[in-house]
Amino acid sequence: MNRRFAPVSVLLAFAALLAGWPAGAEPDPELDPPPPGLTAREVADRVEQVFRGDTTYIDATMIIRSPRLPEPRAVRFRSWDDRSGKRSFIRIVSPPKDKGMTFLKLHPNLWNYIPRVERTVRIPPSMMLQSWMGSDFSNDDLVRESSQLDDYDHRWLGVDPSPAHPESERAYRIEYIPREDAPVVWGRIVAAIDVARMVPLWQAYYDEDGTKMRMLRYADFAIEGRPFPLTWVMTPLDKEGHETRVEVHEIRFDEPLDDRLFTKRAMSRPVR
Amino acid sequence: MTVLRLAWRNVWRNVRRTGLTVAATVFAVFLVVVFVAMADGIHSKMIEDAVRIQSGHVQLAGRGFLENRTLETNLEWTPDLEATVRDTPGIRAWAPRVDSAALLSLGESTQGVMLVGVDPAREAGLSTLAERVDHGTFLPAGTARAIVLGDQLAKNLGARIGDRILVFSMAYTLENAYDLFTLTGTMHLPDPAFERSFAVVRIDDLQAFLAFGDRVSEIALLADSASQVPAIEDALAAHPLGAAGIEVNAWDDVMPDLAQFIVIDNAGMYIILFILVVVVAFGILNTILMSVMERQREFGAMLALGLRPRRIFQMVYAESMLLAGVGLAIGLGLALPTVWFLGQHPIPLGGEELAAVAGLVGMEPVVTFEMRPTTLPGAALTIALVAALAALYPALKASRARPVDALRSL
Repeated sequence: MNRRFAPVSVLLAFAALLAGWPAGAEPDPELDPPPPGLTAREVADRVEQVFRGDTTYIDATMIIRSPRLPEPRAVRFRSWDDRSGKRSFIRIVSPPKDKGMTFLKLHPNLWNYIPRVERTVRIPPSMMLQSWMGSDFSNDDLVRESSQLDDYDHRWLGVDPSPAHPESERAYRIEYIPREDAPVVWGRIVAAIDVARMVPLWQAYYDEDGTKMRMLRYADFAIEGRPFPLTWVMTPLDKEGHETRVEVHEIRFDEPLDDRLFTKRAMSRPVR
Repeated sequence: MTVLRLAWRNVWRNVRRTGLTVAATVFAVFLVVVFVAMADGIHSKMIEDAVRIQSGHVQLAGRGFLENRTLETNLEWTPDLEATVRDTPGIRAWAPRVDSAALLSLGESTQGVMLVGVDPAREAGLSTLAERVDHGTFLPAGTARAIVLGDQLAKNLGARIGDRILVFSMAYTLENAYDLFTLTGTMHLPDPAFERSFAVVRIDDLQAFLAFGDRVSEIALLADSASQVPAIEDALAAHPLGAAGIEVNAWDDVMPDLAQFIVIDNAGMYIILFILVVVVAFGILNTILMSVMERQREFGAMLALGLRPRRIFQMVYAESMLLAGVGLAIGLGLALPTVWFLGQHPIPLGGEELAAVAGLVGMEPVVTFEMRPTTLPGAALTIALVAALAALYPALKASRARPVDALRSL
């Protein structure tokens, strides 16, 4: 044995301790071991498929609660998403003040058209973490600039035998760890996925210091055709009294979308 | 007294050696004083610039402002609060401000900025914002929704005076806020990063734009002098402001980066000065030791004639202290007028490259000097102390000469 290496390993261990590792790697004693033959990445892949067909059309209302607001504010929007083309289009339907506002994502750019001043604004990367329409979702959530499959490594935490969710009896628990060069702002994401239907129950977002920053819960899974959560609730944990709830009125998968929708010209076109 | 006279004569027995030692001491004293004055001057200017444009010496803000600057951390600028500020001694000027983040867009170009709402009349007594406008005018009263941008920001946006710029942000009511503002001027700022991202509008325009009511983000207070900051902070903290959800922050809490930069910069300077002083100490040690070695016979003779070793120690020690004292006096005599002159005439740093380097640490390309009351006694005391230590060994060596050996040597 070469004794000169000893201090190096001591240093490394100390550095690892300082970095908070392997604190996060400890298995949760309340979780059952993961099933053999199923990888964490496969689970993440199934979740991704729930959220995005090849194309997805959503009609939804976003309800924003905040201590600043005497009563919750509702924003109704329609969104068209083309997964393979990495492009999407969103139109604000109400409130009247924001009606006709549109957002166009053509990877990696995001534009915003404002009808009242008839101007199109490109949202710079530095603003991706800013709130979208005053909600607790960010512009980044909107365009999913980062991919939960490509930008993360996936790791098993185990199987939760009694998830605190009325629509689930058993849930997989996996962890998303961002790859080194990925454009990701989170330190890690922990997700619970219903075993029976392979739908996400919640996702907890941690910052780089390991502090839990926000919680996204899903509920009201529609069964017809394919399971999809019709209610999403985003709760930022650093801002008391804030909450954004998205209620999906209508969702359609895999309908062909017109290429002309994903153009800057379409942004200023009045609603058909 | 005899010892001192003897020492004085001995010092001038070898004029060249004495001259060189004194010169080294003069050089060290001069450098220490000028360096410290330069660092203090540069740091004061950085603080002054930052304080005037950004935080004020002391700042009143909504609770939680330091951790999380959002529209949520605000305060109401009540007559009561204004009276409190007016009655606190040592406050020269104050100005309310609204801080927000916004997106500016013109044509194809979009920039994320820090958008600050100010009261031009109140700012005149506090910040240098209006003086920094080098094109156009600073928020003229006649223009509705006027905006002033950093020079570099205007360049990046491709904006010219008179252009209508789309300002896009989120209102206090969590609604989208967007409106067109007219560019009336652009300004030069000491920090290039700041100049790329700083936009100013009138405070009432911004309050209306953000549906912010009469709220403000902060009240910047300018002290009569930086040394009064702790007193003002204490006076305001003792006031029942805390109950109203208001926090009192000194500039170094608001801009910890700047405060830390100054601490680190000072540490670096003191290490260099320490090395300089040690080199001078060895210079003195060397000169005196050489002269002691050459004068062994002399010491032997003196001892043989019945002089006490203690006397010899005193004499040699006095020689060292005379050398150091003369050097110290001349050094301080040279440094004082130099620093005074440079204090009146700051040195501009020529050349774009130097200016760019200065910009990296957020300072303007000009070197200013400032003599603090502690600088002179501090430098004098340090050099005197080091010289006193360095002189110990040669003096001991001289006093311990044994007459028989000493008379035989050389």
